Amino acid sequence: MSEKALSGLRVVDLANNIAGSYCAKMFADFGADVIKVEPPGQGNPLRNKAPYQKDEKDPEKSGSFFYLNTNKKSITLDITNEKGAEVFKDLVKNVDVVIEDFEPGKMKEWGLSYETLKELNSKLVMTSITWFGQDGPYRDFKANNFTAYGLGGAKYVMRPTRWPDTRPAVLGGSQAEYTAGLIAYIATLSALISPKVEGTWIDISVMEAVSSTLTGIMADYSYLGLSRRTLPWAIHGFPTQENYPCKDGYVNLTPGIGGTQAIADLIEKPEERENPLLVKAGARVKEPEKFEALVLPWLKEHTKWEITEKAQKLRLAFAPILSPGELPDDPQIKAREFFVKVAHPKMGEVTYPGAPAKLSETPFKEGGAPLLGEHNKEVLGSIGYSEEDLKEFQEKGII
Amino acid sequence: MAYKILEGIRIVDLTTVYAGPMGTRVLADLGAEVIKIESPKRPDLFTRMTAYPDNEPPEKENWNAGGYFHLLNAGKKDISLDLGTDKGKEIFKKLVKVSDIVMENFSPRVMDNLGLGYDELCKIKPDIIMVSMSGLGHYGPLRDYYMYMTGMEGMSGLTYITGHADQPPLLSNYAYGDWMLGVTGAAAALTALFYRKRTGRGQYIDIAGREAIIVHIGDVIMDYTLNGRVRERAGNANPDMSPHECYRCKGQDAWINIAIENDEQWISLCKLMGKEELKDDARFSSMEARIKNRDELNKIIEEWTSQHDHIELMDMLQNEGIPAGAVLSMKEVHLNPHLIQRGFFDIIDHGKGVGKRPIGKQMPAKFAGVESFVPKRAPHFAEHNEYVFCELLGMSKEELKKLEEEKVIGTVPRFPPGRPTRLDLIEKQVGKGAGYADPDYLNELRKVFGEDIAKK
Repeated sequence: MSEKALSGLRVVDLANNIAGSYCAKMFADFGADVIKVEPPGQGNPLRNKAPYQKDEKDPEKSGSFFYLNTNKKSITLDITNEKGAEVFKDLVKNVDVVIEDFEPGKMKEWGLSYETLKELNSKLVMTSITWFGQDGPYRDFKANNFTAYGLGGAKYVMRPTRWPDTRPAVLGGSQAEYTAGLIAYIATLSALISPKVEGTWIDISVMEAVSSTLTGIMADYSYLGLSRRTLPWAIHGFPTQENYPCKDGYVNLTPGIGGTQAIADLIEKPEERENPLLVKAGARVKEPEKFEALVLPWLKEHTKWEITEKAQKLRLAFAPILSPGELPDDPQIKAREFFVKVAHPKMGEVTYPGAPAKLSETPFKEGGAPLLGEHNKEVLGSIGYSEEDLKEFQEKGII
Repeated sequence: MAYKILEGIRIVDLTTVYAGPMGTRVLADLGAEVIKIESPKRPDLFTRMTAYPDNEPPEKENWNAGGYFHLLNAGKKDISLDLGTDKGKEIFKKLVKVSDIVMENFSPRVMDNLGLGYDELCKIKPDIIMVSMSGLGHYGPLRDYYMYMTGMEGMSGLTYITGHADQPPLLSNYAYGDWMLGVTGAAAALTALFYRKRTGRGQYIDIAGREAIIVHIGDVIMDYTLNGRVRERAGNANPDMSPHECYRCKGQDAWINIAIENDEQWISLCKLMGKEELKDDARFSSMEARIKNRDELNKIIEEWTSQHDHIELMDMLQNEGIPAGAVLSMKEVHLNPHLIQRGFFDIIDHGKGVGKRPIGKQMPAKFAGVESFVPKRAPHFAEHNEYVFCELLGMSKEELKKLEEEKVIGTVPRFPPGRPTRLDLIEKQVGKGAGYADPDYLNELRKVFGEDIAKK
């Protein structure tokens, strides 16, 4: 096996939710040895999360679990049990990182606080990802991706520029959680790189992770007193931000350096090049319906790729709105071999989205998700437990 | 012991606007030394000219006053250098020689055209790590497409699954795609740094913003790759949960998200609403039934939520163990007791003309035993010319002066004349419902962050 960026690094992943699992997945995909610790019986909660292959509710066939646990090893271990916690401590002695996402205080309740674990392994980096962090007034609030996203401040602006009175809509998928997972990965890795850090406990809050994605619009309030409900691109000199309907879906109209006058050439109406609707940003903001009347008839006669290809030649930064189903056949995605195909013992051949970044020397690792407890013998054996021990643990429901 | 996590790591930062600067800001928050390079002819214009403090650009050097720039570039150093000149290139190479990482987000052609591609930089510093961030990546047939955040998000699948069913697909409206690209850049840079620390080898990293977004909807895409099923946008509805909606509350444009995960929480909600009969109503008695009769149910719940303040309602619901969260506006984020108590905001002093402003952390992680630090304010244009050119690269002040005369460096960027506040546009748009202007915002901020906020 070729050397990977994080080869030799050992990580224990206790995460039940997306954020922690995704953080640990990045470690695994870049080559660290990651052990997913799952509760005996049902296994990790993500195994019970849709989509399932062919909708078969089999814990070995969850696409969510698969995607978020590629390249990991799986052991079953009940860390809430006293003996299980002892086994876990033996495991921690031999690793660099523990990632966990239990409610604040739970690890301590099980005798597995950072202080306790640090005594066993002074260089341990423990990363705790919770909805609101380890302290503060919301610490014990209940939350999920949906509610944390709104509290972070992102959702308030999730309304079309054209219809700012609309009920805000959540960003698709589980963005609050993925965001926190990416931040947790960076924080954990930086602690491992630092020559000065001798082990640390990292506290990550999903709500704060969302707030850290707001970029410029955050300064709108502290500098201007402004709270946006939407993002009018006209403020930035863009003519429009909306996605417009076309023959086979939607297309985004962001002019870019081609300039808005090029839109007249695109829609085969060069005589409209001086139309105030194209030349003056204010005019479009004032009368969006007139701008729509100008461009929609032509857009509706052309497909999103026809529009995009022609617009790009005119140096307009138009782009098609692609569905998840259109991605695997996209020419750029194909040329970059972005999707990965691997074999899985229960699911057969599985295709999933691959590397977030292409590293020339140490590319992302391709691999599937583990079966529940697949590596019990290997992992627990490596820290000195015999086959009899495992048998006993199994009988007692510890593994 | 006070130290910074990434102390001693030097990053040459060629990035502009949102995505790239976001990535290097994350690394600066961790303590790396980030040296931002701007061309005197082409400064980082957009963020430098957006959100002047209190809508008044200072009389002098208005390019140093943009609020967006302050947020995205806190903690960095700044030099001016024209890479289009031979001397500029030569100096750039000297800087690369004493640095660890180069990050850039030009169009894919630019660095090679300048003769400063990865292979060239390797000749100067064999273990350099170079991170290129672009919309669609540095190779492939669509490599040269003109791409902004809008295109990256639109082509990722994320936009397709976002928004209400009866409206067009919705972009993030806060440059989330840019954030994703930049922060993935930071993650990849550190991944390569870890490898270099162990092996001494550097590498080149190619990040496509679109791909960096797709990996964040991986579980949604699996429904297509496993089942051929395409997820359609459905507002706030969730395939596995109901109620799962954003409900209107009492007051102006106030909302709360409620997401019920199980029957226990549902029964608690019925009690709290004073509608215990609902839990025995066949239309709502199981998760399956509630998902099926979602619209009816949402109407009933909204009747109740619309009589309550969104913050009070959140506390009431949380007391019963129900996952609920107010939808916070930017004002409410700044005044939020939880974020404030957790120290999410740093109070950064920008000096004359701007004063102290709360700036959110861009790397919100707390490290036990590591003292946190407040990043220095975003640099003024070319503020660190002398430090970088003289102290780091050993040039004399005379040489510096000569470079300035030759326009290889400069202290005054090419910047639009006048006072481009765009106040008129903002006002027009706010009037049309694009947002709210709070005339009392400075007093609000002073109440929570101290009386000396924004004393110019």
